[in-house]
Amino acid sequence: MVLMTEEPDVATAPIAARVHLAHAVVQKLAEERNIELLHLKGPAVLPGLRAEGRQSSDVDVLVRPSHLPRLISAVESIGWEQRTDFATGSVFAHAANWWHDDWGWLDVHVSWPGVGVDDEQAFDVLARGALQHSIAHWGCPVPNRTAQRLILVLHAARSPGGTDVDHAWTAAEPAEQAEVRALARELDAEVALAAGIGELALHRDHPTYALWRHFAEGGSRLDEWRARLAAAPSTRAKAGLVTAAMRVNRDHLRMELGRPPTRAEVRARQRQRLRKAAAELSTRVKRA
Amino acid sequence: MIHRYRIADDVAWVSQEDLDDGSSPTAYLTRVPGGPPVLLEGSGCVVWLALADGGTLADVIAAAAEMTGSTEAEVTEDVETLIDQLVAIRVVRED
Repeated sequence: MVLMTEEPDVATAPIAARVHLAHAVVQKLAEERNIELLHLKGPAVLPGLRAEGRQSSDVDVLVRPSHLPRLISAVESIGWEQRTDFATGSVFAHAANWWHDDWGWLDVHVSWPGVGVDDEQAFDVLARGALQHSIAHWGCPVPNRTAQRLILVLHAARSPGGTDVDHAWTAAEPAEQAEVRALARELDAEVALAAGIGELALHRDHPTYALWRHFAEGGSRLDEWRARLAAAPSTRAKAGLVTAAMRVNRDHLRMELGRPPTRAEVRARQRQRLRKAAAELSTRVKRA
Repeated sequence: MIHRYRIADDVAWVSQEDLDDGSSPTAYLTRVPGGPPVLLEGSGCVVWLALADGGTLADVIAAAAEMTGSTEAEVTEDVETLIDQLVAIRVVRED
């Protein structure tokens, strides 16, 4: 009658089950080492803020930036392997990810794109009024309802087309929306919030306007870099972006190939990027 | 002395009901943070759900029989065997 399987093939466990358990695993590590973090997205989303039945394929956590080294040490102690670093994980350099053969992907965030205040300060604000939410029957701290609405809308501003804004913003009562706007003001996230809820045009003069419009409407890689340069707050930040632009993302190439890339492969990818950049420029010249 | 059984404090678990999945009863569990994933299918999941409320062996047998529409006599041996296994891998505590 009874079936019990230990260490099943990962493929046999649905991703949703693995994600739930992995949240609990990460939380236990955090408790053992006094690491402050918040669980985000997927099963961490409070009821009613997202479409029913929507599943997440990875575990997302926001860690207090000063606790990041402890978290990295903790997750790697039980077998998570880093696959991307913060410089190459995303255009915002806000997250890096790790892979575990049993628990899958773990995305560690030290900031949330769209939030302008200092990362440590942002964590304080988002952690204020955090709730204990049961994931896999394990108490996990998650942002409160207002903060979750803002986080979902800011995420939608970068990845438009889903239904998150419908649930997290449109369905909210006016008083709830006012709370989200107030939180966005406190976090210097008003432009990103506006991008998520269709009010971006009100911020045409803001340095990050072009960047959020790029996410909302799409465009070429060149458009994206131009927007990122415009949004960079200082000359040093702009210089850093240009340097990064010239570098092939070895982490992503490694994931694409399933193994570390060779030097020849990195050089080949660099040439491919140059060709793509040249093609984009050529298109623009013809359009002009 | 009558023993009581309960899910161990360091176990995280999720069942098909939590996942809003309509397929056959299945529970996925692990000892956090370093335990391997364990899969309990069908009647094994039913016993696990009975253990979630805690109780004596008789309580769990009664709950498992009720959930499976069987008589207690029909499920007793299997429930005892499974609980022994779950205690052995330390995902269930015997107090």
